[in-house]
Amino acid sequence: MGSRRALSLVLLLISFIHSGLTQESSPSPQSDPVITRQKAVSIGQNQVIIEELAILTPQKIELLCNLIDIPNNPPNITGYWTKDGQEIENSEESVNRNNEQYILKRTFSIEARDLGNYSCNFRENEAKVTFVLDVPAIKGTRNKPVVSYIGDSVVLECKLKLKHTPNTWNWYKANDTEKVLINVTANPQNYKIVINGSDTKLTVLNLTEEDSGKYICSAEFDIKPRESYVKLKVLSYTEPLKPFIAIVVEVIVLVTLILLWEKCKKPQQDNSSAGENDVCSEQTSKLAGDENNGVNNTARQRKLQP
Amino acid sequence: MPRPASTNLGYTPPDGGWGWAVVFGSFISIGFSYAFPKSLTIYFKEIQEYFSISYSEIAWVSSIMLATMYAGGPVSSVLVNRYGSRPVVIVGGLMVGVAMVTASFGTTIVHLYLCVGVIGGFGLAFNLQPSLTIIGKYFLVKRPIANGLAMAGSPVFLSTLAPLNQFLFDHFGWRGSFLILGGVLFNCCMAGSLMRPIKMRKTTDENDTGKLDVTSQRAGEDESKQSGCATKVNQFIDVSLFKHRGFLIYLVGNVLMFFGFFAPVVFLAPYAKHQGIDEYSAAFLLSIFALVDMFARPGTGLVANTRWIRPKIQYFFSLSVIFNGLCHIMCPLLPGYSGLVVYAVFFGLAFGMVCALLFEVLMDLVGAQRFSSAVGLATIIECGPVLLGPPISGLLVDIFLDYKYMYFACGVMMVLGGIFLYIMNYYNYRWLEKEGKQRKVEELEIGSAKELAANEENKDNEEEIRQNTQEEG
Repeated sequence: MGSRRALSLVLLLISFIHSGLTQESSPSPQSDPVITRQKAVSIGQNQVIIEELAILTPQKIELLCNLIDIPNNPPNITGYWTKDGQEIENSEESVNRNNEQYILKRTFSIEARDLGNYSCNFRENEAKVTFVLDVPAIKGTRNKPVVSYIGDSVVLECKLKLKHTPNTWNWYKANDTEKVLINVTANPQNYKIVINGSDTKLTVLNLTEEDSGKYICSAEFDIKPRESYVKLKVLSYTEPLKPFIAIVVEVIVLVTLILLWEKCKKPQQDNSSAGENDVCSEQTSKLAGDENNGVNNTARQRKLQP
Repeated sequence: MPRPASTNLGYTPPDGGWGWAVVFGSFISIGFSYAFPKSLTIYFKEIQEYFSISYSEIAWVSSIMLATMYAGGPVSSVLVNRYGSRPVVIVGGLMVGVAMVTASFGTTIVHLYLCVGVIGGFGLAFNLQPSLTIIGKYFLVKRPIANGLAMAGSPVFLSTLAPLNQFLFDHFGWRGSFLILGGVLFNCCMAGSLMRPIKMRKTTDENDTGKLDVTSQRAGEDESKQSGCATKVNQFIDVSLFKHRGFLIYLVGNVLMFFGFFAPVVFLAPYAKHQGIDEYSAAFLLSIFALVDMFARPGTGLVANTRWIRPKIQYFFSLSVIFNGLCHIMCPLLPGYSGLVVYAVFFGLAFGMVCALLFEVLMDLVGAQRFSSAVGLATIIECGPVLLGPPISGLLVDIFLDYKYMYFACGVMMVLGGIFLYIMNYYNYRWLEKEGKQRKVEELEIGSAKELAANEENKDNEEEIRQNTQEEG
């Protein structure tokens, strides 16, 4: 890396040739209007670039790698393509220099089995660009199950990472080896499916213990469906009740202990201070009595005296 | 030392012994009160999906809970004045526990608003006020330490409730978690049972206090003839506090301060993510903040208790507020993740200092007798800036699309509040000194007058006794 001058792969032009499709992806394109979309991404100064492309339908796609800043600027270099690390047969070709740029491009016909990692490589240097061709991914699956209760309802969600719209979404319930399609029209009181473009929500109503398990959501694209799963666990109400009762018992025990301890200490304090109080109250009552008597006497005396 | 008149409890507080158990009880109550509403946010996403509502609708649950907790302050004060701390805290614990248990069976979002928001909020209000009040009844000399330790409950409980809530959510879903949390909240009743009412043991000079009571009674009767309504209200809650100079200074300063107090905590993680920092490091910032906060509170209590700081504790508080404001002003200037870590440490320190002293200075100003009413009135007035602060700050962020203006605004509000408190307390201290000297002069005069009167009475008594013996004899 250090010995060479920094390479920069500047321009990656990707042009797709979109061929008209029928419902089943047919290998041979029909003569429908051709839509060419071009996405130009320019990344500078990196040697290894990974570009993710979302493929929704079978199509023909042209991948293009543009190499600049090669030391010595040879008149031509050899490039070849690999798929998933394996060199594609007869893909090697000689690239001529064009204004200090070397452009290697190839058109691929992509079907379901053709999805994978396509890389352009060059024999003379280590620059590499990888295009990851795949159906759009679904946002991270939680390993932890969603928890709900018998008789309650729950909402399970699947969402695509980016805003692509599949043809439709399907939900399946996985039973050991096979998966069973969830049919809302056959079972409207137990299931509800809401589809909102790139995300979908399955509501399971009137839960029972058998509803626990794996639920598979499938985004149906023309080329290949994308699947993910959500795990559901249905508990009975006694499950959280056990720790709840344990904590309430603990609180009651502690409160009783604290109040009992206080009661025990109270008579001790009362006994010790009762003596003082008696002494104190005797003295104060004496003084009060004397004062009262004195006041009464003076009042009587004053009354008698004119 | 504090002025004698304002802290005339009629008895000397124990300053230890069972007081530390009371501090522990207050620690638990305060911890639940402040940390619980914030820790509920973990359940929001699932509840939001379950009821098919928007995020703002679910966020109302937390807001209603906080608002009721602050607004319930005066109600709590009235009850504490009447019945003492212990019954109110136990009732509060029962309320919030039952509220959560009921909420776990809720079928609409309105159920949650009522149960968790309103009843839960009142229950927490019945926990917060009495816990603060009873510390003033048990401690005088060591009160700042006691306050600092009790207020440390908030960060400790937040740090424990957050992972606990996540654990409960993973194993029991939101309904089961609410049920179990109801049980956990019943522990507030246990905290309340620790708050033994203190037995008033009268001091030896009963005659003086007797005379004072008589004079105040007569004054009270005159007043009652003039304005029956005001005295009736005064029986429940001490509204005359609004004439108390120190209390008014505290109110104005705090209202200014609270506008910028909570928003930086709320926006710390979003600001970090906005800078390009990943979620886990942003969450770690909050952990650093909470950890520093946890130790800053009792530490500040210890420092405030020293003989150099205690007499001038108002200055210490206003300086902490200014320090807090300066942290916010410096925040946008600190670069990168390490800058934010430094900010989190200093902010944690400043936040802990302010929180530890928040109620201690109020006790210092109005005295333990009137503290219960004071804290109720203060919380309901502070309710406004506390609830408005974060949304207004959010608005600033949305308008300017940059966090630094929000931080400047919060910092400036706090610095203004702090400066106001500092200056006004300077004058307050001077006026109190003058009044103290005047009172001493008056007491001396009263004392000499009493002596004369007592001498005359004795002479009268002696004369009567002589006359009686003469008559008999």
